[in-house]
Amino acid sequence: MAALLVRRCISGDAAAWEEIVQRYHRRIYNICYRFAGSSNDADDLTQEVFIKMYRTLNSYDVDRGAFMTWVTTVTRNLLVDHFRKTRQERMTDSLDTTSSDHEDAMALSERIPDRSPAPDSRVQTREAKEAVHQALQKLSPELRESVILRDLQDMDYREIATVLKVPEGTVKSRINRGRAELARLLQRTYRQVM
Amino acid sequence: MAGKENNRMQCSEFDALLSQAIDGTLAGEKLTAFEEHGRECQLCGPLLQEAEAGRSWLKSLEEVEPPSDLVMNVLLRTTGVSTVRLHGGPSRASWMDRVSEWARVIASPVINVARQPRFAMSFSMAFFTLSVTLGLSGVKLSDLRHVDLRPSAIRRTYYETQGRVVKYYENIRIVYEFESRVRQFKQATTPAQPPPEQQNNNDRKDKTKDNTSGQPEQKQQRNYSQEGNQPVFASLPNDPPVVNGATYRRFV
Repeated sequence: MAALLVRRCISGDAAAWEEIVQRYHRRIYNICYRFAGSSNDADDLTQEVFIKMYRTLNSYDVDRGAFMTWVTTVTRNLLVDHFRKTRQERMTDSLDTTSSDHEDAMALSERIPDRSPAPDSRVQTREAKEAVHQALQKLSPELRESVILRDLQDMDYREIATVLKVPEGTVKSRINRGRAELARLLQRTYRQVM
Repeated sequence: MAGKENNRMQCSEFDALLSQAIDGTLAGEKLTAFEEHGRECQLCGPLLQEAEAGRSWLKSLEEVEPPSDLVMNVLLRTTGVSTVRLHGGPSRASWMDRVSEWARVIASPVINVARQPRFAMSFSMAFFTLSVTLGLSGVKLSDLRHVDLRPSAIRRTYYETQGRVVKYYENIRIVYEFESRVRQFKQATTPAQPPPEQQNNNDRKDKTKDNTSGQPEQKQQRNYSQEGNQPVFASLPNDPPVVNGATYRRFV
């Protein structure tokens, strides 16, 4: 179905391209939002992703994987580029200096904003979800993208390995470390609140 | 990992099976060994709890709603048209769109020419010349909106303007002086004809009428001619006066 859409789009069918945009814009926006952290950046990045897709749609090979995987790969590559471009800005914020080193979890956890609700309310409140979203931004990009694709986009390990271009074992390890890191960050925050 | 071995499973193996255990796809002896290792290992046990908690936190996040204009912006930036046009299709384009498309096709060569620097310079010079000319002639563009475009008003405006131009031309001092000089020159080049005393009054009146130069000499002449209005009677005196040839010829 997606391959047919792509073929129609390559042949110049504007309606097919609109169908692709309508079908994938929500997914791409959510990946960008969870990775970049802000809705404005997600909006811009989503548009950039579709522009890149529009220009490189010819490079999609049906035999090499699903169109969804290709779309996610394009999105992830653009997010990595964006992360590298904005690295200097984030370093000036003194928040991301050690974020690439995911082993230093305790130091990161101390920087989580102290605005989460009590642990009893858990993730039911909006503040708690916002705290999780903020904690997600403190993960290293490798761990962040892994848990986003697995736990938020429900992709299987093989697809994630294709997108990230790493072995499945590495994907599983990153996902486990990312989940554990996130939990440590949030638990440390709640412990400070209490 | 500590690499510490507990029972039949090592920490590296526990780490490898952690994802499957959390996903619920681990079963059988592997699941038993995994759970046993998790209970006894001080490093892997907390790791399992943290990973499960982290997954629970992540699963609590809901899908966010994209901006409402995201699709339209994407289509505008990629294909250059909005989604409404795509749904309409080229065959269902409104007449406004078709007219604007035709106008764009027709106007594009003109716009391309107009974008050239030499055309812009020529146009600016022409505009400058026109604005200077209108400014010197006293025409204000703000007054044009008050122009009455009815046929009768246009006709009246035409005759008023024509009369104003004629009057302006006749009142120009230089034209007036030029005509006077020309008239003087003509008089100077024409052979002098002294007014004959014998000429009748009608001729003198006509000559006075034709004289419009207004020069003092002519006034004197006019006065002089008025003196000559006295009737001259033909007579032959006893001592005829001596006359010049011209006069003589006249009398003859």
